Amino acid sequence: MARILIRLNENLVSEPVVSEVILENKVLVAILAAHINSKGGEIVLEVPDEEVDKIVSAFRQKGATVTVPKLIEIDSDRCFNCGSCVALCPVEAISVTKDLSIQFNKEKCVGSVCNICVDACPARAINSVRYSNAEHMRSSSSGYREK
Amino acid sequence: MSKQDQKTRTIEEINQKIIKGDAQVLTAEEMKKLVESSGVEVAFKEVDVVTTGTFGAMCSSGALINLGHSDPPIKIQRAWLNDVEVCHPGAAVDLFIGATNSCEKKPFEYGGGHVIQELVAGNEVELRATAYGTDCYPRAAVKTTITKDDLNQFYLLNFRNCYQRYNCAINGSDETIYTYMNKLLPRMRNATFSGAGELNPLMNDPDYETIGFGTKIFLGGGQGYIIGEGTQHSPKNLNGTLMVKGDAKKMSPEFLQGAAFTRYGTSMYVGLGIPIPILNEGLVRKTAIRDTEIFTDVIDYSVMRRDRPNLRKVSYAELKSGAITVNGKRVRVSSLSSLKMAKKVAQTLKDWIDEREFTLTAPIERLPLDTVVKPMRQTQEIPFVSNVMHPVVTCMENEEIRAIAERIVTKSVNHIVVIDSSGKLLGIVTSWDITRAMAEGKKALADIETRRVITAKPDEPLESASKRMAQHNISALPVVDSDRKVLGIVTSEDVSKLLGR
Repeated sequence: MARILIRLNENLVSEPVVSEVILENKVLVAILAAHINSKGGEIVLEVPDEEVDKIVSAFRQKGATVTVPKLIEIDSDRCFNCGSCVALCPVEAISVTKDLSIQFNKEKCVGSVCNICVDACPARAINSVRYSNAEHMRSSSSGYREK
Repeated sequence: MSKQDQKTRTIEEINQKIIKGDAQVLTAEEMKKLVESSGVEVAFKEVDVVTTGTFGAMCSSGALINLGHSDPPIKIQRAWLNDVEVCHPGAAVDLFIGATNSCEKKPFEYGGGHVIQELVAGNEVELRATAYGTDCYPRAAVKTTITKDDLNQFYLLNFRNCYQRYNCAINGSDETIYTYMNKLLPRMRNATFSGAGELNPLMNDPDYETIGFGTKIFLGGGQGYIIGEGTQHSPKNLNGTLMVKGDAKKMSPEFLQGAAFTRYGTSMYVGLGIPIPILNEGLVRKTAIRDTEIFTDVIDYSVMRRDRPNLRKVSYAELKSGAITVNGKRVRVSSLSSLKMAKKVAQTLKDWIDEREFTLTAPIERLPLDTVVKPMRQTQEIPFVSNVMHPVVTCMENEEIRAIAERIVTKSVNHIVVIDSSGKLLGIVTSWDITRAMAEGKKALADIETRRVITAKPDEPLESASKRMAQHNISALPVVDSDRKVLGIVTSEDVSKLLGR
């Protein structure tokens, strides 16, 4: 799943933009966060990887601004498991396992909208990567330490 | 007395057992469990050696390199390895590369620690050197690549390693700070600590009974020796350190890793482990120490002074739990050193002894037990904010803009600080804000005042206040105490008068 950030201006907030995109494209999306008032709104959606391009262009056609946050990747070859990143993560996506390894939960991570851990890694093992590389990255990296 | 009732043993006896493959070796972690379950007497009978370990950022590390002579020969004056400038401590072709030396092309990201790691890994490193040229050393410049195999000597030589324990760092200010204790979020949103606690070598022999000058140790994945107490060694308050040396050609890049700390600089993580011979029951008790008995202080690193506020005492058990309580608030804590690698150091050292690859040495001299850290003798005073701050012109939030404009004229100031009835900081308005409000016909102060005010503390160096003004492109900082009560103001004019810029 990929996360995208939709921004609606004040003209769009009264339109059923999200519903239209869902119905017209017949795609299931999960709304992870939404902050909307009369002046505009921000919605974070989770969409299937293979549908991202379609959904992004559908929202753009309706006048919304769409950003695709980059994902965080931890390079297990560089990481020496110090744990500097753990307490910084606001969504607790990084934890320490029983054997004292660092474990990264990609599902919780909000990606480049946060990035708070990236410049705190002394081994420079944390990178911000584009979602379009995500497929390639996941298949090539065995050290992702997913749950 | 029968051998069964023996109350002491010698290093020589232990080495005989190691050679025969009979020595009982436990890691510090295993030893603590054994003493807890079976008691001191049993543990003394059963255990000959306890292995300890730590793996942390140790900035006072470096390597001594002898390059061999070029033809024609050069007496190096300045030299760079992968664009990291190194020191030239002796004649001709001896270099010392410090872990914190920074690369000129990638400052703060690549440094001496990384160069040492690359050399240890067997990689080629670029050497550039310049010289003034003499009759005996005519060459003025040299450029080549080297690997560790090309070097005559390549020794790790660390002035201060293996801190017995270290501070827990926190940030009580309103801005993120980047320190050698890593990134500290504002308003105490995280904390960091360093050190292996109960696994740390010096914590397991705090009286330096077996750890001394000449003790053979695990260093960077190879073998090394303790060559004295480390700089700033302060054993009486449990802040002991070691000076160590070892052949870097035989070390491993897994246990010597270059590191980069944002806006601080580069460093090197060093794996260091010490075998502790269990010579008597006293050493059994010492090596049984637990994280619950090891304490350190939570220090506010946002105070830019040598002596920073100490917020509380905390045990390594609490630190390793992932969260501590400071001022009634839960704060998540991260370790800066790798506990996983510390355990690996202790385990590797145990394996070496089990496989008879490593025997113990008795120290040839004991380390000092009474040294203390003195502050620097300073012959010149530097200015602090309190030296230049002056009284501030204030207003209340319900005042009219016109009244404030008048005050700006009569007091001839550019900044008015908005306070509440108890004198606490609410906001700031400048003469420019007032001018614009008049032009745009705004009446309420609330519409024009800046509420996110960048402030200064009276005891901070003027230099750092000046840096903050430049960073935020502002011309004054209200000076507040820890309750945000306004004490005065410091302006860029004050700074330029005193610091001449």
